[in-house]
Amino acid sequence: MKASEVFVLISIIVFIFSLAYITSLGGLGQLPPVNVRVLAQRYLELTWNPLKPFMSSSGYESVTAIVWDFRGLDTFFETAVFYGAIIAAIAIYRGVKITGKGKTIGMSPIARTITRLSIVLIPTVAASIALHGHLTPGGGFQAGSVATVVAVLIIMVFGRKAIIRKGLTKSRILLLRSLGLLGIGFTAVALLLAAIALGVNAYIFQNQPKPFAPLGFPKIYDGMILGGSLLLFNFFEFIAVTAGFTLVLLLLSLDEKDVRRVVVEK
Amino acid sequence: MNLSLMTAYVVVISLYVNLGIALYGIFARPSLVKKLLAITILSDTANAFAVLVGYRWPKTGTPKPPVYTNSTFNNQTLHYYVTHAVDPLPQALVLTAIVIGLAVTIFIAFIIIQYYRLHGTVDVRKARR
Repeated sequence: MKASEVFVLISIIVFIFSLAYITSLGGLGQLPPVNVRVLAQRYLELTWNPLKPFMSSSGYESVTAIVWDFRGLDTFFETAVFYGAIIAAIAIYRGVKITGKGKTIGMSPIARTITRLSIVLIPTVAASIALHGHLTPGGGFQAGSVATVVAVLIIMVFGRKAIIRKGLTKSRILLLRSLGLLGIGFTAVALLLAAIALGVNAYIFQNQPKPFAPLGFPKIYDGMILGGSLLLFNFFEFIAVTAGFTLVLLLLSLDEKDVRRVVVEK
Repeated sequence: MNLSLMTAYVVVISLYVNLGIALYGIFARPSLVKKLLAITILSDTANAFAVLVGYRWPKTGTPKPPVYTNSTFNNQTLHYYVTHAVDPLPQALVLTAIVIGLAVTIFIAFIIIQYYRLHGTVDVRKARR
């Protein structure tokens, strides 16, 4: 082992021990904590609170309420970062043609049959995670990640060309992804547009009626909790995340020689 | 020492060990792929740490997930929820951090692949020459 490697190793160990000491001194406090912070208590109290309709959100799930209502603007910009990263990754592959022509080999009939069954079941589970995200643990991000497994399975078991032959071309997936993002943007300003038309006041990312802003997304319909804008945000995020990751996986599975011809030699 | 305290210590110590492994991978390993793996370990450690900070073990009963599970609403059920549910804020932040982290990881992976195509190596020592 070289002297420089020993130095790096010792530095890391010293750093970790000092960090552990500092956080145990004043950062973490008692472990595990008995109480949560006051801010967390307010979030928990206002997630579903018919006694404070102007301040509360519209679902049972506090995490989704924070992600898309209390701190909705944060999530919007975080989603923008997610799109930026995927667009940057796609930009490297600009000019590479993705076609479904040619032979595919794929895996054995056993793997194919099992996959045919599971590619129906997985989107069902994903849809339930997305559409139930305001009531039970889940939401658009998680559902999108689950649904992407379908793309992975199709690419691995049937081959990359099979996904294109099913009609999911690069431009169509891009369109789906853009529709998801547009949906999120539209839901964020929907009440504002309606308020301008009706001549009343409203806010960006408004979910439920507020003082001096009487418009709101439907919270309950026929005894069923709809979740207001949370349901729409989860649905559009589900579409956007699924399409984004499917596209990236499609690009990662391309033939190396096809890509090299465009991105290196040209 | 009770079980919950012992579990918390085991989790915290494992997180610090993970942090050490991740930092070693980032600083000392020459391969870009191993650096990327180390970055993902680092981000997952940070996420797990954030969730741990928001965890709680109430004096009575057991901790509950931050989901209001009562179909009826009154002051008692709300008080029980507020005093037993864990902190939802770190979970909300970690949720978006994971997805964005995945997107950024994919972007870095694409760059490493492209780097390999252009230079024929992912070893930073060879690339310096």
